[in-house]
Amino acid sequence: MSAALESRGLGRRYGSQWALQGCTLEIPRGTVTALVGPNGAGKTTLLRLAVGLTRPSAGSVRVFGLDPRAQAAEALPRVGFLAQEHPLYGGFTVEEMLRFGGKLNPGWDDQAARDRMAALDLPLKKKVRSLSGGQRAQVALTLALAKRPELLLLDEPVASLDPLARREFLQSVVEAVAEREITVVLSSHILADLERVCDHLVILAHGRTQLVGEIEEIVASHRLLTGPRDEAEDVSRMHEVVRASHVERQTTLLVRANGHVYDSHWTVHELDLEEIVLAYLGQDAERRREAVLS
Amino acid sequence: MIWLSWRQQRTEAVLSAAMVVLLAALFIPAGIHLASYYDHHGVARCISGKTLACGETLAAFGDRAGILRSVVPWLTLLPGLIGVALAAPIILDLEGGTYRLAWTQSVTRGRWIATRLGLSIFTALAAAGLLAVLFTWYRRPLDHVFGRFDGTSFDLEGTVSLGYVLFALGLGLAIGVLWRRTAPAVIASFLAYVACRLFVDGWLRQRFVTPLSATWKGNAPGPNLNTDWVLSSGISDRAGHLFAGNFQILQACGRVGARGTKALNGQCLARHGAGYNHAVWQPASRFWEFQGIETALFAGVGLLLIAFAAWRVLASD
Repeated sequence: MSAALESRGLGRRYGSQWALQGCTLEIPRGTVTALVGPNGAGKTTLLRLAVGLTRPSAGSVRVFGLDPRAQAAEALPRVGFLAQEHPLYGGFTVEEMLRFGGKLNPGWDDQAARDRMAALDLPLKKKVRSLSGGQRAQVALTLALAKRPELLLLDEPVASLDPLARREFLQSVVEAVAEREITVVLSSHILADLERVCDHLVILAHGRTQLVGEIEEIVASHRLLTGPRDEAEDVSRMHEVVRASHVERQTTLLVRANGHVYDSHWTVHELDLEEIVLAYLGQDAERRREAVLS
Repeated sequence: MIWLSWRQQRTEAVLSAAMVVLLAALFIPAGIHLASYYDHHGVARCISGKTLACGETLAAFGDRAGILRSVVPWLTLLPGLIGVALAAPIILDLEGGTYRLAWTQSVTRGRWIATRLGLSIFTALAAAGLLAVLFTWYRRPLDHVFGRFDGTSFDLEGTVSLGYVLFALGLGLAIGVLWRRTAPAVIASFLAYVACRLFVDGWLRQRFVTPLSATWKGNAPGPNLNTDWVLSSGISDRAGHLFAGNFQILQACGRVGARGTKALNGQCLARHGAGYNHAVWQPASRFWEFQGIETALFAGVGLLLIAFAAWRVLASD
């Protein structure tokens, strides 16, 4: 069975600038994936490529084995997409927005959409233009959900929301996932927003994927090692070193361990997810600094 | 998808329809009045008549059209307004990024653009077509007398309005997909529409087909050009070179007639080498040929512009 979302060497260039480059990843069905990276890392580009809004400059992207651009008629009904700015027709009423969803989607679940609006106390007769940001986000999410997609792509869904609306919104996503087994990809530049709801993680920085995997496995395998500087070489032969810093004769290594880490010369610390993500993003920042200096 | 397209251009379509209704309310009673005046005052008999009384009858008939007759020339801007207005909701979609919302539903962007353009074209043609029918009907009695080939009636009657409206729609869409800002794109395309129309009206149209011309002696009866499109006419020499209108010579040769009218002394003019009349015109019989050429010209360019806009939208990103 093909993955919900799969990309190989995927890249997109705007002018001479690569917004996304060499992106290879696979998002299994039924997972909730956090797509994390700083602004301009290529998150939006990746999601737009996946839903066929953007054409790849290099490599390929598949949703359920389908080319979202060339096989749009088959792929589109299976993918729900919520753009960052939650675009809606300002002059439409909420009811007309639902009607829009019904007219343009064969799998539309009108009852579910109306139930959601009622549960959120959203008046159907109100114009979209006069809704609050949080309400608009909910209408946009309802559109994406009532389409009954198998893959739901949410681009920075909570960035524009206040903390309360953020919590409500993510709760809605969690409930939807629990109800029907859909695959979800949420992007954010702040991991804390998504950590509660996700089981998989993709770190994107500088237009490239830095880390792809299951969150549990990521947390389990990353360790902070402190030990003698002259033995750092040995560690890097065994484990993948993400980040290294040296003080005098002592070295601190962040490693993605292959198997168990045990060595009497090294003190081993466990890390939480946020520290790991920051390490990867920091590494990227360092690399960029080096690139500027060299 | 048709529902969405309709919903998004509803305002523009309703405004166009309201305009058609308003104009119908003005021109239908006026048209009935004109037709009945035409029938009851012996206007038809005077069309080829040359008597003074007939001249007065025709002038009075022309006056009957009243103020509407001076309003009519402006109405040739309407196909431009309608076409540009119907382009606006599509540009608005591109400007606001809401097209992405439609493109991420289950409908392919090919179907989206086809339906939206299809409905815009249909609405534009329907509105312009109704206006053309209305004015052609209204002007029928006037056309019998004054012809339908002169500037304003040619622009309003027949099929050209269909070409104009497609052209305006195409301009709006083409400028809109490039600029993606609704207000300036709409204004710019309307100005471009007016400029192109002025160029065709004032310069190009008379060159579609070589015009006819004739030269005849000053006191001989010339051809009846009442319903033709006269491009130029006046006093000329024998070879048909129009007399440059030397005011002093014309004044010298003028003669106050018995009834106070001024007539030109033929012999005096002949002494100055200008005893002939010359006219250049497009005969009324070419009306439909010219309508066909102009409709094809505007509709063709309009459809090309629409196709360009569709291609730009489909290939975007």
